[in-house]
Amino acid sequence: MWNVVTTLFREYMGAGLIMIFYLVSLIYLWMREKRKFVRILFVYVPVVLLLLFFNPLFAKILYGLLGDEIYYRMLWLLPVTVTVAYTAASIYGSLSDRNRATFALAAAAAIAVSGSFIYNNQYFQKAENIYHVPDSVVHICDAIAVPGREIQAAFPLEMVQFVRQYDPTICMPYGREVTVDRWNKWSELPDEMEKETIDLSRLAPLAKEEGCHFVIIPEDKTIVGNPAEYHWEVFGRMDGYVIFRDTDYSLLL
Amino acid sequence: MTVLQLFIAALLLLAIPTVVGGLFRRNVDKNLTNLVFQWISGQILLWACFQLICVPMILLDIDFKWVVAVYGALLALASLAALILAARNRKAAGAMTIIRGFDRKKLSTHLVWMVFWGLLAFQLVQAVRMTYRDGDDAFYVAISSITQNAETMYRKLPYTGYTTELDARHGLAPFPIWIAFLAKAMGIRAVSVAHVILPVALIGMTYGIFYLIGGSLLKGKKDVLPVFLIFTELLVLFGDYSFYTVENFMIARSRQGKAALGSIIIPVLLLLLLSLFRQLQEGEDVSLKYYLLLASVGMAGCLCSTMGAILCCVLVGVAGICAAVAFKRWKILIPLALCCLPNVCYSVLYLVFS
Repeated sequence: MWNVVTTLFREYMGAGLIMIFYLVSLIYLWMREKRKFVRILFVYVPVVLLLLFFNPLFAKILYGLLGDEIYYRMLWLLPVTVTVAYTAASIYGSLSDRNRATFALAAAAAIAVSGSFIYNNQYFQKAENIYHVPDSVVHICDAIAVPGREIQAAFPLEMVQFVRQYDPTICMPYGREVTVDRWNKWSELPDEMEKETIDLSRLAPLAKEEGCHFVIIPEDKTIVGNPAEYHWEVFGRMDGYVIFRDTDYSLLL
Repeated sequence: MTVLQLFIAALLLLAIPTVVGGLFRRNVDKNLTNLVFQWISGQILLWACFQLICVPMILLDIDFKWVVAVYGALLALASLAALILAARNRKAAGAMTIIRGFDRKKLSTHLVWMVFWGLLAFQLVQAVRMTYRDGDDAFYVAISSITQNAETMYRKLPYTGYTTELDARHGLAPFPIWIAFLAKAMGIRAVSVAHVILPVALIGMTYGIFYLIGGSLLKGKKDVLPVFLIFTELLVLFGDYSFYTVENFMIARSRQGKAALGSIIIPVLLLLLLSLFRQLQEGEDVSLKYYLLLASVGMAGCLCSTMGAILCCVLVGVAGICAAVAFKRWKILIPLALCCLPNVCYSVLYLVFS
């Protein structure tokens, strides 16, 4: 358990420099902060919380209660941002007017160099619309939705996490759960959908079995087989995807 | 999004919480009387009420429309009650405090404040302009969308849409249902409320809390307060040093309850504990309203995340014991323990359903 917890702490720290600033801030406050109520909350409490976090018995109990994926959130109880900012502001306040700007700029630069700019994160992208889901999802969902009823559609994996955020009347035979390896929810239908060459003799029966009214396939994939044989017709093409409609399943209300 | 919809958003996320927070303007802490505190404390109380209303309805399988009706009525009644109280007590509004304080500042302090506002505006614009593609949205935002659309709560699998048994474990922390309520009231899709409207409100709220904490810590040093806030902004903006940091959640996944737990509930708890310890040190009587607000924060923590129930208890417990030892005031542990009771109940329910 000790190894698990220390690994978790290391992962939380990232490069570790901001955490070092935090520890330096704790020492600074311990030495310089005179008000007892501030010392309790910003020095003593974090130390006890850290002791609890690293306590294998406490960790074992919380792991048992909540699972191993979210124990790191115990570290959210440490007021890292407030403590570092307060320490920096206190030092700034204790300096002469002339030195203040120099210190502020140096501290800001140290934070910038030590941390990582959040908007540089690879998962941040420019929003394509007011829904913050890809335009292709919006266009395809709008095209296949039938007012007043739910429909079933199989989407490529890159789209599944967005579809039901945008339109919950569109049901899917598989969703985001198949994209997370450790959940082990992989099944045959997404497997066939993700192949570079789509073999309709395999995909169509699987989609029919799941009652799919629509199957959405990227246009750049090679499709083997005649869609008409499986009572599939091309419903539309948009944003680089072809939408097949299975005429065996009615869309009437 | 129409002007009317934005107006309703401002009403629900700014005006009504601020009016309701008027209930806490007096008797919580003599230093916490401004409009920012009203806004945040009002929202906390409303979240606690939402949790009280919504969870029983989820467990009893009552339609979402009744949550909308009951919580809507509560919003109206709470606003009315707070307005009546405010009318009885018209002295010194919080806004005046802010404006009078502003007039006295030096030019250099004005400039520092401008840097703070500039960085805040940048983050709010980015919240609208940029999107963070997080897989968990496929669960949480889809629940909001389903609830808004199908009127059922936690009865459909968010990933696929198939009908299922009641998901009581997640239903104990119905933050997505609150988003569905906002979407219903505004008349726009839950996905837009979650990704666009909510981040703007919640990021603003986090800095409001930092402002209050900074005000408490830097009392008598008003010229340093904006510097403190700028440092908090920089630490947030450069807080992506790991996937797990609360700063990452705050900016990237604001619409998820766990982000609200880390960036709003826990900081509010720190603010209130700071206030409590100051009152203890200065020999002031701690009011009943203070404890009501503290208990509300715990309940709001339960609304945000199932782990919120436990984290709030851990923080209050550890801080309470540290304060009891430091001030030799053991009796303080009794009201603090009572404030944690709702969290303990939700934790027990969580264990029952998981």
